[in-house]
Amino acid sequence: MDDSIDVTHATTGITEIPSYRPDAKTRRYDRQLRLWASAGQRSLESARVLLVGCDATGCQALKNLVLPGISHFTILSPDLTTSQDVATNFFLHPDSVGSPIAEQSVKYLTELNPAVDGSARVEELSSLLVSEPDFITSFTLIIASNIEPSLELQLADLLWDVSNSVGGPDIPLISIRNSGFIGRVEIQLREHSVVDTHPDTTHTLRLDSPFPSLEQHARSLDLFTMDSMEHSHIPWVVLLVRAASIWKESHGGKLPETSEEKAEFKEVLKKDKVKGDEENYEEALAQAYRVWSKSEVPWEIKQLLEDDSVKNVSSSSKNLHILLHTLSQYTATPPHLPPTSPSLPDMHSSTTSYVHLQNLYKKEYQSDLARFKTLLAEVLQEIGLEDGTIPDEEVEGFVKNVGGVGIIKGTPSRERKEGKGLIAQSIADYQYDEYDGSTTCFAMELALLASERFYIAHKRWPGVKAKGDMSEDNREVEEILKGILGKNDLEEVDDIFVECIAEITRGGFGTLPTTAAFLGGIVAQEAIKLVTNQYTPLDNTVIVNLVKSESAKFKL
Amino acid sequence: MTAAVHNGIPNGVASSSKLASYLSDESRFASIDKILDRRGPWTDERFEGGQGSKDFLRNQSKILVIGAGGLGCEILQNLALTGFNDIHVIDMDTIDISNLNRQFLFRESDVGKSKALVAAEFVMNRVPGVKVTPYHGKIQDHPLSFYEQFNIVVAGLDSISARRWINATLVQMAQEDEEQLKPLIDGGTEGFKGQARVILPTVTSCYECSIDMLTPPTAFPICTIANTPRLPEHCIEWASVLEWPKVHKDKKLDTDDPDHIEWLYQQASARAAQFKIEGVTWALTQGVVKNIIPAIASTNAIIAASCCNEALKIATACAPYLNNYMMYVGNDSVYTYTFEHEKRPECPVCGGESLTADAGKDWTLERFIESLTNRQDLQISKPSLSYSKGALFWPSPPDVYKATKSNLDKLLVDLLGDEEGIVVTDPALPVSVNLSINYV
Repeated sequence: MDDSIDVTHATTGITEIPSYRPDAKTRRYDRQLRLWASAGQRSLESARVLLVGCDATGCQALKNLVLPGISHFTILSPDLTTSQDVATNFFLHPDSVGSPIAEQSVKYLTELNPAVDGSARVEELSSLLVSEPDFITSFTLIIASNIEPSLELQLADLLWDVSNSVGGPDIPLISIRNSGFIGRVEIQLREHSVVDTHPDTTHTLRLDSPFPSLEQHARSLDLFTMDSMEHSHIPWVVLLVRAASIWKESHGGKLPETSEEKAEFKEVLKKDKVKGDEENYEEALAQAYRVWSKSEVPWEIKQLLEDDSVKNVSSSSKNLHILLHTLSQYTATPPHLPPTSPSLPDMHSSTTSYVHLQNLYKKEYQSDLARFKTLLAEVLQEIGLEDGTIPDEEVEGFVKNVGGVGIIKGTPSRERKEGKGLIAQSIADYQYDEYDGSTTCFAMELALLASERFYIAHKRWPGVKAKGDMSEDNREVEEILKGILGKNDLEEVDDIFVECIAEITRGGFGTLPTTAAFLGGIVAQEAIKLVTNQYTPLDNTVIVNLVKSESAKFKL
Repeated sequence: MTAAVHNGIPNGVASSSKLASYLSDESRFASIDKILDRRGPWTDERFEGGQGSKDFLRNQSKILVIGAGGLGCEILQNLALTGFNDIHVIDMDTIDISNLNRQFLFRESDVGKSKALVAAEFVMNRVPGVKVTPYHGKIQDHPLSFYEQFNIVVAGLDSISARRWINATLVQMAQEDEEQLKPLIDGGTEGFKGQARVILPTVTSCYECSIDMLTPPTAFPICTIANTPRLPEHCIEWASVLEWPKVHKDKKLDTDDPDHIEWLYQQASARAAQFKIEGVTWALTQGVVKNIIPAIASTNAIIAASCCNEALKIATACAPYLNNYMMYVGNDSVYTYTFEHEKRPECPVCGGESLTADAGKDWTLERFIESLTNRQDLQISKPSLSYSKGALFWPSPPDVYKATKSNLDKLLVDLLGDEEGIVVTDPALPVSVNLSINYV
């Protein structure tokens, strides 16, 4: 270790930090980088988020996005701060009363993270939708927090339409609605690609169909002459590949099929044990089932390959569609499997045996990757795109983790608000079950829908009057709900709906700080997934019932 | 022109006229008052609500928050806004730069200061009218009488042993005096996952009842570390567990010291190169030796909100509280699972019955002790065993160790004779455990 530093450094007092030591930003974000790595962080740091409606829930969501370091946020609200606002929203202060609420919350939110930029627009959404739609579509993601239903729908329609044109932005809209203990988060987007769902494993061991160099290596071992140390450190993967290979020779090329054969296979394996306690053999016996588990293209991936936008690609296709299209061609030829992954689980083994095995998988991955890249180049040429269009990092990430991709296709908000599409089917199928909390949550969803229609009719929320009887509002919401359920005037709604409506009007569409914090966490988590394209997002609605501390999700 | 915000408030000073009118404006509680003035369909019949509930919440309740870190900051925010005006908070840590991505009451200029103190000041500045009393130190520093003053305890700890301690303490208090039954609301998070639970000491399942639900920590076998490393993690463990003591002798490894991490990183990298293993990085080195758990604001927000929601319900009865465990998983969509965890009759802390331990007739005492350290429902590593005639084996103090170590090689049946009961203590156990031996 060199103790002397030269004069420049001594006098300026700045010691050079070696490049592998984390800088201040890396240290600040360390705990989150372990979840989404630098690629995810880069995506976050280019995200521009718009919050429409400056209430406690929306500000809690923003807090959870400013802290991890989005690029920019804007809060849009024409309102002036009231004492009720201050009492529920941590990002206001009594001093804020009377001032534009958007400006006040921006002030308290930006100071959470000096790297994040925030601005306020003290204006009505309704006028911006007409005069500056481009402003609205300049964001990466939009959060609408408890804004009035017709305005929310106009916003949703704009974003849905804009995403319909080729090359048009597909901006996710996350909408929040809460009343007392009850909350809902909905996501509208046209299509979302997940590049990495972070599955539990990415291995493709394929013991039922080992690649040639693996089988060769396994057969080349001479178990009888090797010393006992080496013998007890042969990795279980190699032991199983070897045993399977030998079995096939004496069973007409077939692997164990019946339970007797499987038991016999294990007995044969046991006989090779030299000492009683060889851990690698214990592991091999425990993992033996992999020999007769058929390696296949994962079911979810098969579904994706059938998708129109994967089958028919063009120069305007998304990268993931092009990669999946290439995968389709890749799996069309033997061995009809996705490329080999270079990853290997840990197993009882000597270092050299393990590293050797690892290198075999790595080499196979490299040759599969090369084959994939050749096909990709052909696909790109066919559709008129340049060879380097998809960055190497993205191609390799795809090939290493084929099972960890996903595509989500969304539905327009308008459909669910009008009771059409998927929600109509869910309503038709609905059956209350007191032991299944999700049925209560679905009843809450319908009660919220009915309440939104109440608002559109009366320009106020049910239950909003401070004192007195909510029963009149409750009855009217029940009537609206009857319509949604398709019941005629003479039928009564089930008790569960009466209860859900009562709990919602009880809250009067006011925001409890704890409900705001809970929903704010969910909204931010989903926003992060949508912006980073990592981890599977909510598709597309979650109801939170903090009376019972339950939640349920629905695709509507 | 917006004023700079410092320690939570503009210019560090609140303007007094706006403040006075704000604090006298009762209508500011409109949102919360709606659920305190009105019952819901699932609200208990006995709920009266109104002024009584509000008065208890805002003027009488005393609530303790344990931990002012990732969960603690969120809990303090939520409780203050909900209306708990007398909040106490304990934390023994100081602020680190890696806290700032989620512990939002702290700023870069606070690095090195006490979490409890800074958090308390920030909340009091931001939410005038709330009193937050901080304690910089350990929960074990306070006697039982300290805990008796609170109505509810909310814990956002990152340590299993601390949870076991506060749980055992509150159970003991409730066992000795029914009036001293303090609900314990406990939250924990890890990455996108978390859980919130409500413990009513002696009534519901306690923390110790569910100790077997914990995932065992990754333990690398010592022969892998010493002789057959395969993963970069093995090389890092070698550097910290074997090489550091060898080279640095008595100097203790400080995982918070970047120079120590640098040394480990260099040593691990060299070993990895020697064995042709790839993947040793600074981040991995730090992660392994500090057992770093990924953490983000959004998961903490959800779990803390859940805990504080339960505190509101328990304090006012405005809605039924959680009975008694909610798990949260957020890496794949949004998923919660709410269930009632059952009380264990043989729980060493809150149960009456003793635990059974199976033992082979040919087992030595040492073998028996090994079986105890492997038990998921005990989570111990250095137990002391005693029976009616005295100590069987104690690893410390030195004179008892010397006197009992020869027992390790003796057969358990011979040592115990007709006796069937053993008492076990361990640094990780908040209480002593009674075991009855069952020979198989």
